[in-house]
Parts: sequence; structure tokens; C-alpha cells
Amino acid sequence: MNATPTFGRLGDHAVDRRRFLGLIATGAAVVGIPGLLTACSTTPPPAASNSAAAAGDVIPKYIPVTYIDPDYPSVNGSVPGYEAIPDELVQSVKDAPGTGVVYTAMTPLWGTIPPTKGNKYYEAVNDLLGSEIQFQITDGNVYGDKLATVLASAKDVPDWVCVPTWNLPPRFGSEIVENVFQDLTPYLAGDKVTPYPNLANISSDAWKFCVFNGKLFGLPFPGEVITDAIFYRRDVLDGLGITPDIKNGQDLLDLALELTGGSVWGAEDLWNSAAIIHAVPPKWKLDGDKLVHRVETDEYRAALEWNAALFASGAVHPDAVADQSGEAKARFQSGKSLIANDGVGGWHEAMRDNLASNPAYWQQPFDPFHADGGTPVLWKGNPANIFSFLKKTDDEAKIKELLAIANVLAAPYGTTEYDTINNGVEGVHYTRGDDGLPVPTELAATELQPTYIFLVDPPISETHVQYPGYVKAASEWKANAAQYATDPLFYAQQIVEPQQYASIGQPFVDLEKDISRGRKDMRDLDAAVETWKASGGDELRAFYQDILDQQS
Amino acid sequence: MSLSELVRRRPPVVTPGEAAPPAPLPTRKIGWRVRLKRDRSLLLMVTPAILLLGVFAYVPMLGNVIAWQNYSPYTGFLHSQFVGWANFERVFSNPLFVDAVVNTLIITAFQLVFFFPIPIFLALLLNSVITPRTRTTIQSIVYLPHFFSWVLVVTVFQQIFGGAGLINQTLRDHGLGSGFDMMTNPDTFLVLITMQSVWKDAGWGIIIFLAALSTVPPEQYEAAAVDGAGRWRRMWHVSLPALRPVIILLLILRLGDALTVGFEQLILQRGAVGADVAEVIDTYVYYQGVVYGDWSFAAAAGLVKGVVSLALVLGANKLAHVFGESGVYKRA
Amino acid sequence: MSTQTTVRPTPAARRPRRSKHRPAWEGRPSIGGQALKTIVLTCVVLAVLFPLYTVILTSLSTQAETIRVGGLVTVPGELTINAYTQILNGGIVTRAALVSTFVTIVGTVVSTTVSVMGAYGLSRPGSFAHRPILFVFLITMFFGAGLIPTYLLVSSLGLINSYWALILPGAVSAFNVLILRNFFMGIDIGILDAARIDGAGDWRILGRIVLPMSRAVIAVVALFYGVGYWNAFFNAILYINDNAKWPLQLVLRSYVLQGVTLPGSGVGQVDVATGAVTGLPIKMAVMVLAIVPILIVYPFVQRHFTKGVIFGAIKG
Repeated sequence: MNATPTFGRLGDHAVDRRRFLGLIATGAAVVGIPGLLTACSTTPPPAASNSAAAAGDVIPKYIPVTYIDPDYPSVNGSVPGYEAIPDELVQSVKDAPGTGVVYTAMTPLWGTIPPTKGNKYYEAVNDLLGSEIQFQITDGNVYGDKLATVLASAKDVPDWVCVPTWNLPPRFGSEIVENVFQDLTPYLAGDKVTPYPNLANISSDAWKFCVFNGKLFGLPFPGEVITDAIFYRRDVLDGLGITPDIKNGQDLLDLALELTGGSVWGAEDLWNSAAIIHAVPPKWKLDGDKLVHRVETDEYRAALEWNAALFASGAVHPDAVADQSGEAKARFQSGKSLIANDGVGGWHEAMRDNLASNPAYWQQPFDPFHADGGTPVLWKGNPANIFSFLKKTDDEAKIKELLAIANVLAAPYGTTEYDTINNGVEGVHYTRGDDGLPVPTELAATELQPTYIFLVDPPISETHVQYPGYVKAASEWKANAAQYATDPLFYAQQIVEPQQYASIGQPFVDLEKDISRGRKDMRDLDAAVETWKASGGDELRAFYQDILDQQS
Repeated sequence: MSLSELVRRRPPVVTPGEAAPPAPLPTRKIGWRVRLKRDRSLLLMVTPAILLLGVFAYVPMLGNVIAWQNYSPYTGFLHSQFVGWANFERVFSNPLFVDAVVNTLIITAFQLVFFFPIPIFLALLLNSVITPRTRTTIQSIVYLPHFFSWVLVVTVFQQIFGGAGLINQTLRDHGLGSGFDMMTNPDTFLVLITMQSVWKDAGWGIIIFLAALSTVPPEQYEAAAVDGAGRWRRMWHVSLPALRPVIILLLILRLGDALTVGFEQLILQRGAVGADVAEVIDTYVYYQGVVYGDWSFAAAAGLVKGVVSLALVLGANKLAHVFGESGVYKRA
Repeated sequence: MSTQTTVRPTPAARRPRRSKHRPAWEGRPSIGGQALKTIVLTCVVLAVLFPLYTVILTSLSTQAETIRVGGLVTVPGELTINAYTQILNGGIVTRAALVSTFVTIVGTVVSTTVSVMGAYGLSRPGSFAHRPILFVFLITMFFGAGLIPTYLLVSSLGLINSYWALILPGAVSAFNVLILRNFFMGIDIGILDAARIDGAGDWRILGRIVLPMSRAVIAVVALFYGVGYWNAFFNAILYINDNAKWPLQLVLRSYVLQGVTLPGSGVGQVDVATGAVTGLPIKMAVMVLAIVPILIVYPFVQRHFTKGVIFGAIKG
């Protein structure tokens, strides 16, 4: 009768959340553990990639800074790992840059809302900043709705706005960004970034991704190079006496089937994995000099056929067949299914959730392989997953102050700033345990929600030393995988597609599920591709071809 | 004479259902000025509601003008470019939209037959439970699932009826084959979503009917019993007539909602059975319009839905008159 | 609840073990009918109680337990009330509960009052502009407004960050008005006419006759409104920027999101160090906590469902 839903829109936005986790991977940095200061060395880690071609003039100069040498240095742009706990910290910004005013900032949060008044964590960080950031926090799952409405009337826009890439409102690039937000090019381009060393420490690719219409607008939250992996329950397989040696797609199908029996199934829905092992391009691919869209490629076709074979073999957990993906992790972690794809950040989260009750728990990603046994191709993920923007103003001093504040927030691992932002205040939010690990206090659970990370972030580092063996395993896997990392076409470019083509890809989302589950077949794919071409796909190709021509 | 004495003097032995509908106030013979004066307290009573609706429903409703525009939130609907009926053409020209309409109507029709009567039946059943404690206990249990989210409802069903669920696992354990996976079968999807709706909302739905039944004075049952009516006939001649006006009202309003079927419920299970059976108008508009920020398209589809719904309500209302019911409104 | 049990002897009265609640005129049901009724009602109750049981049990389980079983818990294992203490210890839950209570009470009173008046004003066909006014209500059921126009309106009325933004935009539900009107129109016209002849105006008739006779439906409509206000969260997301003014549902939702841990958040450490509950138990605890206020209020509504109570009310 009463139409009011209780937890109404959870469902619609679950997609966003999952996508978010996938994208973020290990993300910024977690346990900022106070530590071993080696030096303020400036050994440049290998550049994330060849950067900044088209956007070259507007992005900040890359001046890397390292406060602690990593135990597992970056290889081919992989995330550096720290096995040790630094016990002395450097304050990277000596004096708080703020002028004691209050700035408003809008961010999402996937967590409990902290009290804003009398919050010692906020007070501590604001002390480092010198000005107060007053947060307007919104439930992360519906942040996109809030953003779209707030941006509809510029007068309610706060000083600093976080915009996740997946919540970019339509026409953001074409109409909103220049009207509402501040062009940062005059403040940060090239050498101008030098007053902000921690911002200069962020990779060029991440900055390049913040360029809209040839101008630098955003501040980035850098992402991982390799975002996804295919995990298996090594602890369970060890118990069964199985040591997987997967060389190609057939091996994985065989393993999944072998593991299926009783109330255990071999696999979750492995569609993402299928795309990875078949090197399905994220969007476009160059075939000779012709642009081919993802859905037209042989790789896409092969991946669909492979996933359909997996489902047909009966190795997929029935709940995954029913597309109950929200509980996929629960099934995998409880051992009801043994192979699943996840963002690489899901690895340490799983350790966190399981080690206490199951000390033997270990999930391991397969080493990269190609479905046909050849050399794998791993497409790089977005160099940034979240941006933030400053509200447009003529007040130059204000922009400079906000950038100086951003410089504090972007302080990397090994600095006081990083430690405070991630762990709060020693003696208030955590105490030091016997092993040197910080033990959070009860107050941390209430107060410590680091909304600052949604404004700007340092480059990612792997610092989960609290899980035995994890940093080593993760860093080695990432270093190995990074050798196969490949730039997709139009990598790190913000391309604003014409609005009318926005929804033509939607049928494929359904089709991927339908074909995998045997409800439809390749003939339906052919038909869908024809429809796609006719309803704008070919025009979209021409649009991208133009961009490509301009760049060559 | 006090009003309460008045009531006592004229005991209301006629149930609301059987009561002659309020005689329309005479209209033709009296001039509008006189009527305005006569009905001013009635009008005054309606004013607050009208004001609230005027400001908070009708003013933003003007925003639907974007259905005729190529709308962009930043430009705003005051300055967006007008494109005539192009958005409506896009709504109707897409074959997927037609499929979605068909699915929607099938689900509505099925649920009208297999969902709508269940709360009525339950209310009558509960009403016939005579021990007050049993009755109130059951009443205060059955409505609870209404407050579960759809995510939870689907999860619960998956854990019971799914391929790895309680039933199938039991069958497997006893070597009776893997049974039947109801959660992923497009052919039984209608049955599945109706079961879910019944489980979630039937108990909540009985509340209105219980309120209607509470207006029946016990004397009527007694009088009917004395006249020799058995329990079925009492239900038929006393209870049901009391429910009839509210049943008719809800039926008409449900018809007006014919194009709206459980958005969240369907979106959660779309992957399990495929868009071919699970795509309805609201999900289609959601994907085409909202997800990709095509607000103009969404507004056009919303207006089409509104017009059709209104037409359905008016039609159903007419139909009610044919059967001698007053329906939502009646020409005076 | 008839008072005439002893007045009229019936065949049933001869049986020694008859229910004291069964009126004398009501015959004893057939064994088969009684059995069928019992079976149906038992099934209905079980179908509701079993999932409810698993939800409550899961909310009382450790996260490890939910991971072990891989979903909702059906057999009690490791039990803890951590999920509840974690939620209730949260800094702003108490304040949010007060906000929600305030909004729900004020909103329900405003909505119910306005709707009852509106419904009565619409209950006399043939009154001035009766049909046009009815259509003003009806149309709002089928034509909605987009998020953005509504937001712009609320913003231009200066209601951003005001509790009124949570009440006024949805204060009148045409559906509820129509339900009320339907019941009002069912009241015996004779009574109303008699009152009118005695010189009672519409306000007096509404207050002294219609309201007492319609307690059940008014209670139901108030319940609908109350539940709506209590459960609403999306309007608060749009209109309330100040997190200290958030209603309870929004704060509770943030606990549901807690399982989703982001890099850089302190939560990850909390889990390892204190075994704090996240994930499924928290989600279920939130679901249970959301139902509790309804459980408290429902009996007050239910009281009005008792047969015959309305007449007693008027006599008194």
C-alpha cells in the first residue's frame, strides 16, 4: 500500500559500489604506519608510463620525492611495497599553509558518518592544514544523484567538490566543468607546480587524466596500473592437494570443473576474468589503421564463448548464475566457490576479514596468462579514479591556499601528514602494539573516517604489513603482472563523447549475461553489433577517428 | 441534543459498504455563488492540501517541459533548446520499449489475479479468527516483511529456492537430482516475482481492509446469524460488502499503476533471468534515461506513462459506474 | 467482542469447551474448516517468521560466522551483540534518532491533519468545484517531477538544510487522501443530515461525528505517513548538507556501507584489532533496528481494528 521503500535505492547503485572497488584496487594507501626514516631521497621510481603527449603543456612537471625507500620498488609502474614500519616520520610541509578560514568540501563516504563537531581527528588534520575543511559527506552509493542535483544550481556548490569518475555527470566536460570549476592550468602547469612538491610527486598520467578541453581542472586520486586479478583459494586447494598450473583458458575451465562437487562450486561468474585472459580492449582497438570497438573484436567474442563454456560446464555457483553478485565475496571467502575475479584491492580486504577467524586463509591471484597460451596483454586501468575540483573564483589567493592545502593532503607514505590523515593521533586514535603495529582505539571507529582522501591523494603504495607475507606476495605479483601492462588506445585522455551515443552500449551489458548463461548465442551478438553500428556506433567511430587523426 | 445522543438515537445499522452513497448535493438548480457560499468550509478544508500540492508537486512538475527539449542540467530548462516531439519519438520508436511495455502489462495482469486478492482473503481469514490474542498476534507478525529491503527478500528467496538453496541442497543430499532452479528460469519468473511480492507486501496490504472491517457493527453479524446465515453467507453478505468500496478504489488505483511494477525487485533479478522477461518500462527508462543522464528522454517516457495511467483510471472508473459502483469520482 | 454471550442460547452453548470469545450466535465451525484455517495461518506465520529468525540470528552472529556459512545464518553459532553495540555507540546515532523522531511526529501530524481535512472537503459530491479539485489530487499520482526541478524549488525556498525540506515536499499523498475520502463517504448519510438539521456546521460534523467514526482508517493513514517519514532517506541526501542534521535512516545506511572498506580508511585496522562486526551482521542489525519503531507503534494502530470499538468511542 504505502509505496515507501525501506532501503530503496540500494539495488540500483550496488553496481557503482562494486565498480568502485574494482577500480580503486589497493588505492591510495592504508595503514600509514609510522616508520623507519631512511632519508628524503629523490630516487625517481620508474615513470608510470610515457606520459603527457597531447596534454603536455598544461600538466604539472613530475618531480618524484621518496621519504622511505620501498622494500619492493616499483617495476614497470607497479605499486611499490613497504615491508617495514617506519618509526620516524618526516613532516613534509613545515608550516601549516592555511589562513585560518573555513572551506566547505563535498565528498562521498563509504562508511559510518563521523561526528563533525568535536572530532579530534578532524581537528588534528585541520591543524596541519591551518584552515578548516568543513565536510558535507554523502552516502557513497547515491553520491552521483547528489552531485547531479547540486551541480544543477551553481550557487549551492561548495568550495571543493569530489567527483568520482563513474559519477561524472553527463555533459560534465562540455558544459559544467568550465562554468562551475576553476581552471588550474595557470597555477600548476609545468614548473608552476614547484611550490607544491607533493602534488609534483603525482604521476603525469594521473594529471593528464584531469585535463578537460585542454585545461587542467582536476586534482587526482591516483589508481593502480593493473586493477583486476583472478583469485583462487590457495588454502583450500592446498588442502585438496591441488597446485594449479594454469597456462591457458582450457586449463582454467578444467580446474573449475575439477573443483566442483557436493556443495562446492569451482567458480563465480568469471566474465571479467574472461575479458582479461582474452585481452578484450576496454573500449577501442586499432586494427591496422581502422578503429574497432570492443564489442566488434574477436577477443570479445572469444571471451564470451569461453565464459559461456564455463557456465555450461556447471562449474559456476548457482547463486552466481542467478547473478547475485553482491554476495560473491561471501561465497568465495566461505569456500562455497573457489575461483573468483576481484579488484586487486580485494586481496588485502579479504585478509582483513578472514585472518582473525581463519589464520590459514589465503587467496592468491593466478599469474597472468593468455587464453590461447601466448603472452598475456593486461590493459592499464584509469590513471585516476576520483577527481576533485575547486569552485571557480577570481580570488587568486584562495586558489593558492587551497592548492597549498592539497599539497599537505598529498603527502606520501612516511610523512607525518600521511600518518595523521590515515591513522589519526597516537594515544587518541591508536596506540602502538607490541609488534609496533598501531592498535586503533574505540574512538577511531567513531571519528576516523578519512574523507580527506577524496580530495587529493599521493601515489599508491603497498603497506599492509599487518598481514604476514602479504606485502611480499602482493608486490611480487604486481611487479610480475606489470610487465604485461599495455596502454589502451586513448589512455589517460578525457574524451567527452557526444551525449546521443551515451546509451548505445547498454544492450551489451545484458547480452554478456545472456550469452554467458546460454540464454542467447553468437547470432544475437551479431545482431546487436549491427544495431549498435546503425544506432550511432559508426558515428562514434568517426568521432574517435577524428581525435586519433588530430593526435598523429 | 448533543451529537453523541444523536448518534445513539439513530444507530448506524447500515455498513459503509451498503450505505447509499452520499446523495450528491444539488448542483444544477443553485447558482455557483450560492454554492460557493454554502461550501466555503469544505473549500477551506481542502485549501492547505491544495497549497502544498500546488507548490511542491505542480511547480516542479513544470520541469517536465524538458521532455520537449534537448535538456542539459547546467543550461537549465529555461535555456535548453526546444526539439519538439523528438524525445517522444525516441521513446516510441525503440522496439525495446515496446517489449518493456508488453512485459509490464503481463506482470500487472498476472499480479492483479494472483496478488491483489490475497490481502483481502487474508483480512477476511484473520477477521474470522475469534480469539483476540491469536488475531492480534498474527496481525502483528504478517506485516513485518514489508520492512525488509528487496535486496534481502531476493537473498532470502535465493537461499531457499536457488540452485544451491535449502530445497535443492536437500534434494541433492538425498540423491534426488539437482531439482529445479526457480531463480534463474525465465519461464517461471512471473510466478517467482509474484511469490516475492505476496511474501513482502500482502501482510502490509491487509491493514486497510482490517480498518474497513472494523467499521462493521457486530450487530449485523448477529442479525444475519439470527436470520440463519452460515459463516460463509455472513462473510459474503456482511464482510465483503463492507470491503467493497475500498476494494474498488484500490483496484482502480492499481490499474492506474498498471505501467509501474516493482522496479527494484526486477533490477535485482534482471541478470538472473535476462532482460527479455525482466525489462519493464521503469527499468528501461532507468537505463536509457537516468543512467546515461538523458533526462529529456526520461521525462518524455514519464509523461507518456502518466497520460496512459490517467486514461486507465478514468476508464476503470467508468467501468465501475457500469457495475453500479461509485469508483473514485462520479459525475454529479 | 460481543457482550451478549450469555443472552442467547445457541446450540454451541451446550458444548462445554467453547471459546469464551465466540459470540453465542456464531455456530461452531466445522472441524475441517477449522483445520484448514489453522494450517493456512500457520503456514503464513511460518513463512514470515523463518526469514525473520534468520535475519535476527544473522544480526547476532559474528562476521566470522557469516563468512563460514557464506550468507544468512540459520543455525545459531558464535553469537554476539557487537553489531548492535557498534551501531548504538556511534557518535551521532542518538542525535539522528531524535531528528527522525521529530520529523516523523511533526510530519505525521501535519500530513494527517491536512489529508483528513482535504478528504472531508472532498467527500461531498456536488460541492463547489468538487471534480476539478479531485483531479488536482489525482493528477499528482501519475505525473511526477524530476529530482532537479524539485531540488531547485526547495533550494529557492531557502529550505536547504531545514527539516521542513524533509516534511513539506511529500506532505500530501493523494493516495491517502482518496482512502480517507472513501471511508468518509461510507458513513451513513442519515447521521450527517441529522446533525446538519440540528445546526452543526461542517467543522463540527468532521470533529464530532466523522473523526470518531473513522478512527481506524485515520490510524492507518497516520501509520502510512509515519512509516514514510521514518524510512525516508533520499530527500535528506539531497536537501541536508549538514551531517549533524541527518535522520536516522541515513546514518544507519552508512553502517551498511561500512563493510565496503576503502583504502586509507581506518576501518580495516579496527576489524583486525577488535573483531568489530561488519558486513552481513551489521546490515541485518540495521534492518532489525529499522523495524523496531514500527513494532512499538503498530499496537496503537491495531487497537482501532477491534470490532465495534468506534461506536463505543462515540457513546463515551
